[in-house]
Amino acid sequence: MDENSSARLKRRLLGVVYRIGLFLAMLTICLPGLWIVISSLRPTVEIMAKPPVWIPQEISFDAYVAMFSGIGKGGIPVIEYFRNSLIISVTSTVIAVAIGMAGGYAFARYRFRGKSSVFLGLMLTRTVPGIALSLPLFFLYVRLGIIDTHFGLILAYVALNVPFTIWLIDGFFRQVPKDLAEAAQIDGCTRWQAFWQVEFPLAGPGIASAAIFAFLTCWNEFALASQLTRSVSAKTLPVGLLDYTAEFTIDWRGMCALAVVMIIPALTLTYIVQKHLVGGLTSGAVKG
Amino acid sequence: MKGFKPSAPFLLLLPAGIVLAAVVVVPLLLSLYSSFTPFRLTRPETFYVFIGIRNYLSILSNTDFWWAFGRTVLLLTIALNLEMLLGLGLAMLVEKATRGQRILRTLMMFPMMFSPILVGFQFKFMFNDNIGLVNNALQSLGITRDAIPWLIEGHLAFIAISIAEIWSSTAIFAILILAGLLAMPKEPIEAARVDGCTPWQTFRYVTWPFVMPFAYIAMTIRSLDVARAYDIVKIMTDGGPAGRTELLWTLVARTAYSDGRMGMANAMAYFSILLSIAFTVYFFNKLAAARTQIGAEW
Repeated sequence: MDENSSARLKRRLLGVVYRIGLFLAMLTICLPGLWIVISSLRPTVEIMAKPPVWIPQEISFDAYVAMFSGIGKGGIPVIEYFRNSLIISVTSTVIAVAIGMAGGYAFARYRFRGKSSVFLGLMLTRTVPGIALSLPLFFLYVRLGIIDTHFGLILAYVALNVPFTIWLIDGFFRQVPKDLAEAAQIDGCTRWQAFWQVEFPLAGPGIASAAIFAFLTCWNEFALASQLTRSVSAKTLPVGLLDYTAEFTIDWRGMCALAVVMIIPALTLTYIVQKHLVGGLTSGAVKG
Repeated sequence: MKGFKPSAPFLLLLPAGIVLAAVVVVPLLLSLYSSFTPFRLTRPETFYVFIGIRNYLSILSNTDFWWAFGRTVLLLTIALNLEMLLGLGLAMLVEKATRGQRILRTLMMFPMMFSPILVGFQFKFMFNDNIGLVNNALQSLGITRDAIPWLIEGHLAFIAISIAEIWSSTAIFAILILAGLLAMPKEPIEAARVDGCTPWQTFRYVTWPFVMPFAYIAMTIRSLDVARAYDIVKIMTDGGPAGRTELLWTLVARTAYSDGRMGMANAMAYFSILLSIAFTVYFFNKLAAARTQIGAEW
Protein backbone atom coordinates (compact mmCIF):
# COMPACT_ATOMS: atom_id res chain seq x y z
CA MET A 1 0.00 0.00 0.00
CA ASP A 2 2.63 2.46 1.09
CA GLU A 3 4.88 1.39 -1.75
CA ASN A 4 2.02 1.85 -4.16
CA SER A 5 1.24 5.40 -3.20
CA SER A 6 4.89 6.45 -3.20
CA ALA A 7 5.29 4.97 -6.66
CA ARG A 8 2.23 6.87 -7.78
CA LEU A 9 3.59 10.07 -6.31
CA LYS A 10 6.90 9.52 -8.03
CA ARG A 11 5.18 8.94 -11.33
CA ARG A 12 3.08 12.08 -11.01
CA LEU A 13 6.17 14.09 -10.08
CA LEU A 14 7.99 12.76 -13.13
CA GLY A 15 5.01 13.73 -15.24
CA VAL A 16 5.15 17.31 -13.98
CA VAL A 17 8.91 17.52 -14.54
CA TYR A 18 8.38 16.19 -18.04
CA ARG A 19 5.71 18.79 -18.81
CA ILE A 20 7.91 21.60 -17.54
CA GLY A 21 10.86 20.36 -19.57
CA LEU A 22 8.78 20.15 -22.72
CA PHE A 23 7.35 23.60 -22.13
CA LEU A 24 10.77 25.16 -21.58
CA ALA A 25 12.18 23.48 -24.68
CA MET A 26 9.33 24.72 -26.86
CA LEU A 27 9.60 28.19 -25.34
CA THR A 28 13.29 28.38 -26.22
CA ILE A 29 12.51 27.31 -29.76
CA CYS A 30 9.68 29.74 -30.37
CA LEU A 31 10.56 32.80 -28.35
CA PRO A 32 13.21 34.33 -30.66
CA GLY A 33 10.85 34.22 -33.62
CA LEU A 34 7.93 35.64 -31.67
CA TRP A 35 10.12 38.43 -30.38
CA ILE A 36 10.95 39.45 -33.95
CA VAL A 37 7.27 39.53 -34.90
CA ILE A 38 6.36 41.60 -31.83
CA SER A 39 9.23 44.00 -32.41
CA SER A 40 8.23 44.60 -35.99
CA LEU A 41 4.80 45.72 -34.82
CA ARG A 42 5.78 48.17 -32.10
CA PRO A 43 7.13 51.70 -32.40
CA THR A 44 10.89 52.19 -32.26
CA VAL A 45 10.55 54.14 -29.02
CA GLU A 46 9.29 51.02 -27.28
CA ILE A 47 12.10 48.86 -28.64
CA MET A 48 14.65 51.33 -27.33
CA ALA A 49 12.89 51.95 -24.01
CA LYS A 50 14.80 51.66 -20.74
CA PRO A 51 13.54 50.06 -18.54
CA PRO A 52 12.15 47.65 -21.15
CA VAL A 53 8.50 47.63 -22.13
CA TRP A 54 7.48 43.98 -22.14
CA ILE A 55 3.93 44.19 -23.36
CA PRO A 56 3.42 46.24 -26.51
CA GLN A 57 1.34 49.32 -25.70
CA GLU A 58 0.33 50.00 -29.29
CA ILE A 59 0.40 47.91 -32.42
CA SER A 60 1.20 49.52 -35.74
CA PHE A 61 2.00 48.32 -39.23
CA ASP A 62 4.07 51.40 -40.00
CA ALA A 63 7.24 49.41 -40.61
CA TYR A 64 5.55 47.27 -43.26
CA VAL A 65 3.90 50.23 -44.93
CA ALA A 66 7.19 52.11 -45.04
CA MET A 67 8.98 49.07 -46.41
CA PHE A 68 6.66 48.57 -49.35
CA SER A 69 6.20 52.21 -50.23
CA GLY A 70 9.40 52.50 -52.21
CA ILE A 71 12.95 53.72 -51.86
CA GLY A 72 12.27 57.25 -50.73
CA LYS A 73 10.30 56.42 -47.61
CA GLY A 74 11.33 53.06 -46.26
CA GLY A 75 15.00 53.34 -47.10
CA ILE A 76 15.49 50.14 -49.06
CA PRO A 77 13.93 48.80 -52.30
CA VAL A 78 12.27 45.74 -50.81
CA ILE A 79 9.94 45.15 -53.74
CA GLU A 80 12.86 44.83 -56.16
CA TYR A 81 14.70 42.49 -53.79
CA PHE A 82 11.60 40.41 -53.39
CA ARG A 83 11.19 40.15 -57.16
CA ASN A 84 14.84 39.18 -57.65
CA SER A 85 14.61 36.55 -54.93
CA LEU A 86 11.48 35.09 -56.46
CA ILE A 87 12.77 34.97 -60.05
CA ILE A 88 16.12 33.49 -59.08
CA SER A 89 14.74 30.94 -56.62
CA VAL A 90 11.93 29.67 -58.86
CA THR A 91 14.03 29.35 -62.01
CA SER A 92 16.93 27.59 -60.36
CA THR A 93 14.57 25.27 -58.48
CA VAL A 94 12.86 24.14 -61.67
CA ILE A 95 16.16 23.42 -63.38
CA ALA A 96 17.69 21.73 -60.33
CA VAL A 97 14.68 19.44 -59.91
CA ALA A 98 14.73 18.42 -63.57
CA ILE A 99 18.41 17.52 -63.32
CA GLY A 100 17.87 15.95 -59.92
CA MET A 101 15.09 13.71 -61.21
CA ALA A 102 17.33 12.30 -63.90
CA GLY A 103 20.16 11.74 -61.44
CA GLY A 104 17.98 10.40 -58.64
CA TYR A 105 16.33 7.94 -60.99
CA ALA A 106 19.75 6.70 -62.10
CA PHE A 107 20.77 6.06 -58.49
CA ALA A 108 17.51 4.45 -57.47
CA ARG A 109 16.96 2.14 -60.45
CA TYR A 110 20.30 1.21 -61.98
CA ARG A 111 23.32 -0.62 -60.72
CA PHE A 112 26.58 0.64 -62.11
CA ARG A 113 30.22 0.56 -61.26
CA GLY A 114 31.46 3.03 -58.68
CA LYS A 115 27.92 3.97 -57.69
CA SER A 116 28.67 4.88 -54.11
CA SER A 117 31.80 6.84 -55.01
CA VAL A 118 29.89 8.79 -57.65
CA PHE A 119 27.28 9.54 -55.01
CA LEU A 120 29.90 10.64 -52.51
CA GLY A 121 31.58 12.74 -55.19
CA LEU A 122 28.31 14.54 -55.88
CA MET A 123 27.86 15.22 -52.19
CA LEU A 124 31.40 16.54 -51.90
CA THR A 125 30.71 19.23 -54.46
CA ARG A 126 28.05 20.45 -52.05
CA THR A 127 30.47 20.70 -49.15
CA VAL A 128 32.51 23.47 -50.73
CA PRO A 129 31.73 26.46 -48.53
CA GLY A 130 29.80 29.14 -50.40
CA ILE A 131 32.36 31.77 -49.56
CA ALA A 132 35.24 29.63 -50.88
CA LEU A 133 33.32 28.96 -54.08
CA SER A 134 32.49 32.62 -54.45
CA LEU A 135 36.15 33.59 -55.01
CA PRO A 136 36.69 31.85 -58.37
CA LEU A 137 33.06 32.42 -59.39
CA PHE A 138 33.42 36.13 -58.72
CA PHE A 139 36.52 36.23 -60.91
CA LEU A 140 34.93 34.17 -63.69
CA TYR A 141 31.66 36.08 -63.62
CA VAL A 142 33.47 39.40 -63.93
CA ARG A 143 35.33 38.05 -66.95
CA LEU A 144 32.18 36.65 -68.54
CA GLY A 145 30.20 39.76 -67.69
CA ILE A 146 27.49 37.90 -65.80
CA ILE A 147 28.25 39.35 -62.39
CA ASP A 148 25.26 41.03 -60.77
CA THR A 149 22.78 39.30 -63.11
CA HIS A 150 19.93 36.90 -62.47
CA PHE A 151 21.53 34.38 -64.80
CA GLY A 152 24.75 34.20 -62.80
CA LEU A 153 23.05 33.49 -59.51
CA ILE A 154 20.63 31.02 -61.07
CA LEU A 155 23.55 29.06 -62.49
CA ALA A 156 25.32 28.98 -59.14
CA TYR A 157 22.17 27.95 -57.27
CA VAL A 158 21.39 25.13 -59.66
CA ALA A 159 24.81 23.66 -58.93
CA LEU A 160 24.31 24.24 -55.24
CA ASN A 161 21.02 22.36 -55.22
CA VAL A 162 21.63 19.47 -57.58
CA PRO A 163 23.51 17.16 -55.15
CA PHE A 164 20.96 17.40 -52.38
CA THR A 165 18.04 17.17 -54.79
CA ILE A 166 19.51 13.95 -56.18
CA TRP A 167 19.84 12.54 -52.66
CA LEU A 168 16.21 13.33 -51.82
CA ILE A 169 14.72 12.19 -55.12
CA ASP A 170 16.79 9.01 -55.04
CA GLY A 171 15.15 8.27 -51.70
CA PHE A 172 11.65 8.86 -53.05
CA PHE A 173 12.14 6.67 -56.11
CA ARG A 174 13.42 3.90 -53.86
CA GLN A 175 10.14 3.96 -51.97
CA VAL A 176 8.26 3.22 -55.20
CA PRO A 177 8.32 -0.57 -55.66
CA LYS A 178 10.28 -1.66 -58.69
CA ASP A 179 7.63 -4.25 -59.59
CA LEU A 180 5.09 -1.58 -60.50
CA ALA A 181 7.17 -0.17 -63.33
CA GLU A 182 8.09 -3.68 -64.45
CA ALA A 183 4.44 -4.69 -64.52
CA ALA A 184 3.67 -1.64 -66.63
CA GLN A 185 6.45 -2.58 -69.02
CA ILE A 186 5.15 -6.13 -69.32
CA ASP A 187 1.76 -4.66 -70.15
CA GLY A 188 3.37 -2.91 -73.11
CA CYS A 189 4.63 0.43 -71.79
CA THR A 190 8.05 1.60 -72.83
CA ARG A 191 10.39 2.41 -69.99
CA TRP A 192 9.80 6.09 -70.68
CA GLN A 193 6.03 5.66 -70.44
CA ALA A 194 6.34 3.51 -67.34
CA PHE A 195 8.30 6.28 -65.72
CA TRP A 196 5.83 9.05 -66.46
CA GLN A 197 2.66 7.02 -65.99
CA VAL A 198 3.59 4.96 -62.95
CA GLU A 199 6.70 5.98 -61.08
CA PHE A 200 6.51 9.74 -61.43
CA PRO A 201 3.00 10.12 -60.03
CA LEU A 202 3.88 7.87 -57.09
CA ALA A 203 7.06 9.76 -56.28
CA GLY A 204 5.35 13.08 -57.07
CA PRO A 205 4.75 14.37 -53.52
CA GLY A 206 8.33 13.55 -52.63
CA ILE A 207 9.66 15.37 -55.66
CA ALA A 208 7.52 18.34 -54.77
CA SER A 209 9.08 18.50 -51.35
CA ALA A 210 12.56 18.22 -52.86
CA ALA A 211 11.59 21.19 -55.01
CA ILE A 212 10.46 23.18 -52.02
CA PHE A 213 13.64 22.33 -50.20
CA ALA A 214 15.69 23.57 -53.15
CA PHE A 215 13.57 26.70 -53.28
CA LEU A 216 14.24 27.42 -49.63
CA THR A 217 17.98 26.94 -50.06
CA CYS A 218 17.99 29.59 -52.79
CA TRP A 219 15.61 31.83 -50.89
CA ASN A 220 17.86 31.80 -47.82
CA GLU A 221 21.31 31.71 -49.41
CA PHE A 222 23.59 34.56 -48.43
CA ALA A 223 27.32 33.84 -48.82
CA LEU A 224 27.29 33.55 -52.62
CA ALA A 225 24.65 36.17 -53.22
CA SER A 226 26.45 38.74 -51.13
CA GLN A 227 29.51 38.55 -53.38
CA LEU A 228 27.96 37.87 -56.78
CA THR A 229 25.40 40.68 -56.64
CA ARG A 230 25.88 44.32 -55.90
CA SER A 231 22.95 46.38 -57.15
CA VAL A 232 19.19 46.48 -57.11
CA SER A 233 19.10 44.59 -60.41
CA ALA A 234 20.08 41.26 -58.82
CA LYS A 235 20.32 41.59 -55.02
CA THR A 236 18.19 39.13 -53.12
CA LEU A 237 16.35 39.58 -49.84
CA PRO A 238 19.02 38.09 -47.53
CA VAL A 239 21.55 40.53 -48.98
CA GLY A 240 19.01 43.32 -48.72
CA LEU A 241 18.70 42.70 -45.00
CA LEU A 242 22.20 44.09 -44.66
CA ASP A 243 21.03 47.44 -46.02
CA TYR A 244 19.56 48.17 -42.62
CA THR A 245 22.92 47.81 -40.91
CA ALA A 246 24.93 49.80 -43.43
CA GLU A 247 24.93 52.94 -41.32
CA PHE A 248 25.96 53.56 -37.75
CA THR A 249 22.49 53.08 -36.40
CA ILE A 250 20.51 49.96 -37.04
CA ASP A 251 16.84 50.27 -37.86
CA TRP A 252 15.76 47.33 -35.70
CA ARG A 253 12.10 47.69 -36.43
CA GLY A 254 12.58 47.80 -40.20
CA MET A 255 14.87 44.81 -40.02
CA CYS A 256 12.35 42.87 -37.98
CA ALA A 257 9.66 43.66 -40.51
CA LEU A 258 11.83 42.49 -43.40
CA ALA A 259 12.68 39.36 -41.44
CA VAL A 260 8.98 38.60 -41.08
CA VAL A 261 8.47 39.12 -44.80
CA MET A 262 11.30 36.67 -45.51
CA ILE A 263 10.16 34.06 -43.07
CA ILE A 264 6.50 33.82 -44.07
CA PRO A 265 7.01 32.04 -47.43
CA ALA A 266 9.60 29.77 -45.84
CA LEU A 267 7.28 28.95 -42.96
CA THR A 268 4.34 28.11 -45.18
CA LEU A 269 6.35 25.96 -47.56
CA THR A 270 8.19 24.04 -44.84
CA TYR A 271 4.92 23.30 -43.11
CA ILE A 272 3.55 21.81 -46.31
CA VAL A 273 6.48 19.49 -46.96
CA GLN A 274 7.64 18.50 -43.49
CA LYS A 275 6.30 14.95 -43.65
CA HIS A 276 7.81 14.05 -47.01
CA LEU A 277 11.09 15.72 -46.27
CA VAL A 278 11.89 13.49 -43.33
CA GLY A 279 10.73 10.43 -45.23
CA GLY A 280 13.01 11.21 -48.16
CA LEU A 281 16.09 11.87 -46.08
CA THR A 282 15.77 8.75 -44.00
CA SER A 283 14.61 6.28 -46.62
CA GLY A 284 17.18 3.54 -46.83
CA ALA A 285 18.46 4.31 -43.34
CA VAL A 286 16.89 1.13 -42.09
CA LYS A 287 17.03 -1.03 -45.17
CA GLY A 288 20.34 0.10 -46.61
CA MET B 1 31.74 7.41 -82.48
CA LYS B 2 30.23 4.27 -83.93
CA GLY B 3 29.38 1.34 -81.73
CA PHE B 4 29.72 3.43 -78.57
CA LYS B 5 26.45 3.26 -76.72
CA PRO B 6 26.54 5.08 -73.39
CA SER B 7 24.68 3.38 -70.59
CA ALA B 8 21.43 4.77 -69.24
CA PRO B 9 22.71 5.88 -65.81
CA PHE B 10 25.58 7.67 -67.51
CA LEU B 11 23.19 9.66 -69.68
CA LEU B 12 20.90 10.36 -66.73
CA LEU B 13 23.75 11.65 -64.60
CA LEU B 14 25.29 13.65 -67.44
CA PRO B 15 23.34 16.91 -66.87
CA ALA B 16 24.21 16.91 -63.18
CA GLY B 17 27.83 16.24 -64.08
CA ILE B 18 27.97 19.07 -66.60
CA VAL B 19 26.46 21.66 -64.27
CA LEU B 20 28.64 20.67 -61.34
CA ALA B 21 31.75 20.62 -63.52
CA ALA B 22 31.00 24.06 -64.89
CA VAL B 23 30.05 25.77 -61.65
CA VAL B 24 32.05 23.88 -59.04
CA VAL B 25 34.91 21.81 -60.42
CA VAL B 26 36.34 24.15 -63.06
CA PRO B 27 36.17 27.24 -60.83
CA LEU B 28 37.83 25.27 -58.06
CA LEU B 29 40.66 24.29 -60.40
CA LEU B 30 40.98 27.92 -61.33
CA SER B 31 41.15 28.91 -57.70
CA LEU B 32 43.68 26.17 -57.07
CA TYR B 33 45.84 27.70 -59.77
CA SER B 34 45.41 31.22 -58.47
CA SER B 35 46.38 30.09 -54.98
CA PHE B 36 49.86 29.68 -56.48
CA THR B 37 49.93 33.29 -57.68
CA PRO B 38 50.14 36.63 -55.85
CA PHE B 39 46.88 37.59 -57.59
CA ARG B 40 45.34 40.85 -56.42
CA LEU B 41 42.01 42.15 -57.63
CA THR B 42 43.45 45.59 -58.23
CA ARG B 43 46.40 44.31 -60.28
CA PRO B 44 45.11 41.82 -62.90
CA GLU B 45 48.57 41.20 -64.38
CA THR B 46 49.61 39.43 -61.16
CA PHE B 47 47.32 36.56 -62.17
CA TYR B 48 50.02 35.24 -64.49
CA VAL B 49 52.89 35.36 -62.02
CA PHE B 50 53.67 31.98 -60.59
CA ILE B 51 55.11 31.94 -57.09
CA GLY B 52 54.77 28.27 -56.19
CA ILE B 53 53.66 27.49 -52.68
CA ARG B 54 54.67 30.82 -51.17
CA ASN B 55 51.04 31.65 -50.26
CA TYR B 56 50.72 28.39 -48.40
CA LEU B 57 54.02 28.95 -46.62
CA SER B 58 52.99 32.39 -45.45
CA ILE B 59 49.68 30.95 -44.23
CA LEU B 60 51.55 28.39 -42.17
CA SER B 61 53.29 31.16 -40.27
CA ASN B 62 50.20 33.37 -40.05
CA THR B 63 48.95 33.27 -36.44
CA ASP B 64 45.66 34.98 -37.29
CA PHE B 65 44.90 32.19 -39.69
CA TRP B 66 45.63 29.44 -37.20
CA TRP B 67 43.55 31.15 -34.53
CA ALA B 68 40.67 31.32 -37.00
CA PHE B 69 41.23 27.70 -37.96
CA GLY B 70 41.29 26.53 -34.36
CA ARG B 71 38.25 28.61 -33.52
CA THR B 72 36.34 27.13 -36.46
CA VAL B 73 37.13 23.58 -35.39
CA LEU B 74 36.24 24.42 -31.79
CA LEU B 75 32.92 25.96 -32.81
CA LEU B 76 32.05 22.97 -34.99
CA THR B 77 32.97 20.49 -32.25
CA ILE B 78 30.98 22.27 -29.57
CA ALA B 79 28.04 23.01 -31.82
CA LEU B 80 27.72 19.58 -33.44
CA ASN B 81 28.01 17.70 -30.13
CA LEU B 82 25.56 19.89 -28.29
CA GLU B 83 23.14 19.87 -31.23
CA MET B 84 23.28 16.09 -31.22
CA LEU B 85 22.62 15.84 -27.46
CA LEU B 86 19.91 18.48 -27.41
CA GLY B 87 18.34 17.05 -30.54
CA LEU B 88 18.24 13.61 -28.97
CA GLY B 89 16.70 15.03 -25.81
CA LEU B 90 14.14 17.03 -27.74
CA ALA B 91 13.21 14.06 -29.92
CA MET B 92 12.68 11.86 -26.87
CA LEU B 93 10.60 14.53 -25.15
CA VAL B 94 8.35 14.86 -28.17
CA GLU B 95 8.15 11.12 -28.71
CA LYS B 96 6.89 10.66 -25.15
CA ALA B 97 4.10 13.15 -25.64
CA THR B 98 0.76 11.42 -25.88
CA ARG B 99 -1.30 14.35 -27.14
CA GLY B 100 -0.60 17.10 -29.64
CA GLN B 101 2.41 15.40 -31.12
CA ARG B 102 1.74 16.87 -34.55
CA ILE B 103 1.79 20.40 -33.24
CA LEU B 104 4.91 19.72 -31.19
CA ARG B 105 6.65 18.34 -34.27
CA THR B 106 5.78 21.44 -36.27
CA LEU B 107 6.99 23.72 -33.49
CA MET B 108 10.18 21.71 -33.25
CA MET B 109 10.94 22.39 -36.91
CA PHE B 110 10.47 26.11 -36.46
CA PRO B 111 14.18 27.07 -36.40
CA MET B 112 14.83 25.09 -39.58
CA MET B 113 12.79 27.59 -41.53
CA PHE B 114 15.01 30.49 -40.52
CA SER B 115 17.77 31.26 -42.94
CA PRO B 116 21.16 31.53 -41.21
CA ILE B 117 21.25 35.21 -41.99
CA LEU B 118 17.98 35.69 -40.15
CA VAL B 119 19.25 33.64 -37.22
CA GLY B 120 22.30 35.86 -37.04
CA PHE B 121 20.27 39.02 -37.15
CA GLN B 122 17.74 37.77 -34.64
CA PHE B 123 20.38 36.82 -32.10
CA LYS B 124 22.26 40.06 -32.72
CA PHE B 125 19.06 41.79 -31.76
CA MET B 126 18.47 39.61 -28.71
CA PHE B 127 22.04 39.81 -27.46
CA ASN B 128 22.31 43.55 -27.98
CA ASP B 129 23.82 44.90 -24.78
CA ASN B 130 21.51 47.88 -24.61
CA ILE B 131 18.09 46.88 -25.90
CA GLY B 132 18.41 43.12 -26.29
CA LEU B 133 15.90 40.65 -24.91
CA VAL B 134 18.53 38.70 -22.99
CA ASN B 135 19.93 41.64 -21.05
CA ASN B 136 16.50 43.12 -20.49
CA ALA B 137 15.31 39.84 -19.02
CA LEU B 138 18.40 39.40 -16.85
CA GLN B 139 18.10 42.94 -15.52
CA SER B 140 14.37 42.76 -14.93
CA LEU B 141 14.80 39.53 -13.00
CA GLY B 142 17.51 41.19 -10.96
CA ILE B 143 20.18 38.65 -11.88
CA THR B 144 22.56 41.35 -13.00
CA ARG B 145 22.56 45.10 -12.67
CA ASP B 146 24.94 45.96 -15.46
CA ALA B 147 24.42 45.32 -19.12
CA ILE B 148 26.43 42.27 -20.15
CA PRO B 149 28.46 43.12 -23.29
CA TRP B 150 27.44 39.94 -25.12
CA LEU B 151 28.72 40.79 -28.57
CA ILE B 152 31.47 43.15 -27.52
CA GLU B 153 33.62 40.92 -25.32
CA GLY B 154 35.49 38.17 -27.17
CA HIS B 155 34.54 35.07 -25.18
CA LEU B 156 30.95 36.13 -24.66
CA ALA B 157 30.63 36.82 -28.37
CA PHE B 158 31.86 33.31 -29.11
CA ILE B 159 29.29 31.90 -26.70
CA ALA B 160 26.55 34.02 -28.25
CA ILE B 161 27.48 32.77 -31.71
CA SER B 162 27.52 29.17 -30.52
CA ILE B 163 24.05 29.62 -29.02
CA ALA B 164 22.74 31.04 -32.28
CA GLU B 165 24.28 28.19 -34.25
CA ILE B 166 22.93 25.55 -31.89
CA TRP B 167 19.47 27.10 -31.83
CA SER B 168 19.27 27.05 -35.60
CA SER B 169 20.50 23.51 -36.21
CA THR B 170 19.27 21.40 -33.31
CA ALA B 171 15.98 21.00 -35.16
CA ILE B 172 17.61 18.95 -37.92
CA PHE B 173 18.92 16.44 -35.41
CA ALA B 174 15.69 16.38 -33.45
CA ILE B 175 13.51 15.80 -36.48
CA LEU B 176 15.65 13.02 -37.94
CA ILE B 177 16.20 11.25 -34.61
CA LEU B 178 12.48 11.48 -33.97
CA ALA B 179 11.89 9.82 -37.34
CA GLY B 180 14.18 7.04 -36.17
CA LEU B 181 12.37 6.67 -32.85
CA LEU B 182 9.02 6.49 -34.57
CA ALA B 183 10.21 3.95 -37.13
CA MET B 184 11.59 1.70 -34.43
CA PRO B 185 9.74 -1.55 -33.75
CA LYS B 186 8.35 -1.72 -30.21
CA GLU B 187 9.01 -5.42 -29.52
CA PRO B 188 12.75 -5.19 -28.73
CA ILE B 189 12.08 -2.52 -26.09
CA GLU B 190 9.39 -4.62 -24.48
CA ALA B 191 11.62 -7.66 -24.63
CA ALA B 192 14.42 -5.72 -22.94
CA ARG B 193 12.06 -4.57 -20.21
CA VAL B 194 10.79 -8.09 -19.62
CA ASP B 195 14.38 -9.30 -19.38
CA GLY B 196 14.94 -6.77 -16.61
CA CYS B 197 16.89 -3.99 -18.28
CA THR B 198 16.98 -0.64 -16.52
CA PRO B 199 15.67 2.30 -18.58
CA TRP B 200 19.28 3.39 -19.15
CA GLN B 201 20.29 -0.05 -20.40
CA THR B 202 17.26 -0.18 -22.66
CA PHE B 203 18.23 3.14 -24.13
CA ARG B 204 21.92 2.36 -24.44
CA TYR B 205 21.71 -1.10 -25.94
CA VAL B 206 18.36 -1.14 -27.76
CA THR B 207 17.19 2.34 -28.68
CA TRP B 208 20.51 4.04 -29.39
CA PRO B 209 21.93 1.51 -31.87
CA PHE B 210 18.72 1.76 -33.83
CA VAL B 211 18.59 5.53 -33.83
CA MET B 212 22.28 5.98 -34.60
CA PRO B 213 22.01 5.84 -38.42
CA PHE B 214 19.44 8.60 -38.26
CA ALA B 215 21.78 10.69 -36.16
CA TYR B 216 24.50 10.12 -38.74
CA ILE B 217 22.20 11.19 -41.55
CA ALA B 218 21.64 14.39 -39.64
CA MET B 219 25.40 14.75 -39.13
CA THR B 220 26.05 14.20 -42.84
CA ILE B 221 23.45 16.77 -43.82
CA ARG B 222 24.85 19.23 -41.33
CA SER B 223 28.41 18.67 -42.50
CA LEU B 224 27.26 19.44 -46.05
CA ASP B 225 26.79 23.01 -45.01
CA VAL B 226 28.74 23.64 -41.86
CA ALA B 227 29.82 26.87 -43.54
CA ARG B 228 26.35 28.25 -42.87
CA ALA B 229 27.97 29.59 -39.71
CA TYR B 230 29.56 32.20 -41.96
CA ASP B 231 26.24 33.97 -42.38
CA ILE B 232 25.59 33.99 -38.65
CA VAL B 233 29.02 35.31 -37.72
CA LYS B 234 29.04 37.84 -40.55
CA ILE B 235 25.86 39.41 -39.21
CA MET B 236 26.41 39.07 -35.48
CA THR B 237 29.99 40.26 -35.04
CA ASP B 238 31.61 40.29 -38.50
CA GLY B 239 34.63 38.60 -36.94
CA GLY B 240 34.98 41.23 -34.25
CA PRO B 241 35.75 42.37 -31.61
CA ALA B 242 39.32 42.73 -32.86
CA GLY B 243 39.17 39.42 -34.70
CA ARG B 244 38.16 37.45 -31.61
CA THR B 245 35.34 35.62 -33.37
CA GLU B 246 37.00 35.42 -36.77
CA LEU B 247 36.28 32.06 -38.38
CA LEU B 248 38.02 30.55 -41.36
CA TRP B 249 35.23 31.67 -43.67
CA THR B 250 35.03 35.27 -42.51
CA LEU B 251 38.81 35.48 -42.75
CA VAL B 252 38.69 34.20 -46.35
CA ALA B 253 36.02 36.74 -47.25
CA ARG B 254 37.94 39.58 -45.63
CA THR B 255 41.23 38.66 -47.30
CA ALA B 256 39.57 38.33 -50.68
CA TYR B 257 37.11 41.19 -50.88
CA SER B 258 38.28 43.77 -48.37
CA ASP B 259 42.03 43.37 -48.90
CA GLY B 260 41.70 42.21 -52.50
CA ARG B 261 44.36 39.52 -52.02
CA MET B 262 42.66 36.81 -54.08
CA GLY B 263 45.64 34.48 -54.38
CA MET B 264 46.13 34.34 -50.63
CA ALA B 265 42.39 34.02 -50.00
CA ASN B 266 42.18 31.09 -52.41
CA ALA B 267 44.97 29.33 -50.58
CA MET B 268 43.08 29.85 -47.31
CA ALA B 269 39.85 28.75 -48.94
CA TYR B 270 41.45 25.44 -49.78
CA PHE B 271 42.02 24.79 -46.10
CA SER B 272 38.35 25.41 -45.41
CA ILE B 273 37.32 23.18 -48.31
CA LEU B 274 39.51 20.35 -47.03
CA LEU B 275 38.03 20.80 -43.57
CA SER B 276 34.49 20.49 -44.93
CA ILE B 277 35.39 17.49 -47.04
CA ALA B 278 37.02 15.78 -44.06
CA PHE B 279 33.87 16.27 -42.00
CA THR B 280 31.61 14.94 -44.74
CA VAL B 281 33.69 11.89 -45.62
CA TYR B 282 34.01 11.01 -41.93
CA PHE B 283 30.27 11.08 -41.29
CA PHE B 284 29.45 9.47 -44.60
CA ASN B 285 31.61 6.49 -43.67
CA LYS B 286 30.05 6.36 -40.21
CA LEU B 287 26.65 6.39 -41.85
CA ALA B 288 27.52 3.55 -44.19
CA ALA B 289 28.93 1.51 -41.31
CA ALA B 290 25.90 2.16 -39.12
CA ARG B 291 23.58 1.13 -41.95
CA THR B 292 25.27 -2.19 -42.53
CA GLN B 293 25.31 -2.86 -38.80
CA ILE B 294 21.59 -2.24 -38.56
CA GLY B 295 21.01 -4.34 -41.66
CA ALA B 296 22.79 -7.24 -39.99
CA GLU B 297 21.05 -6.93 -36.66
CA TRP B 298 17.48 -6.18 -37.51
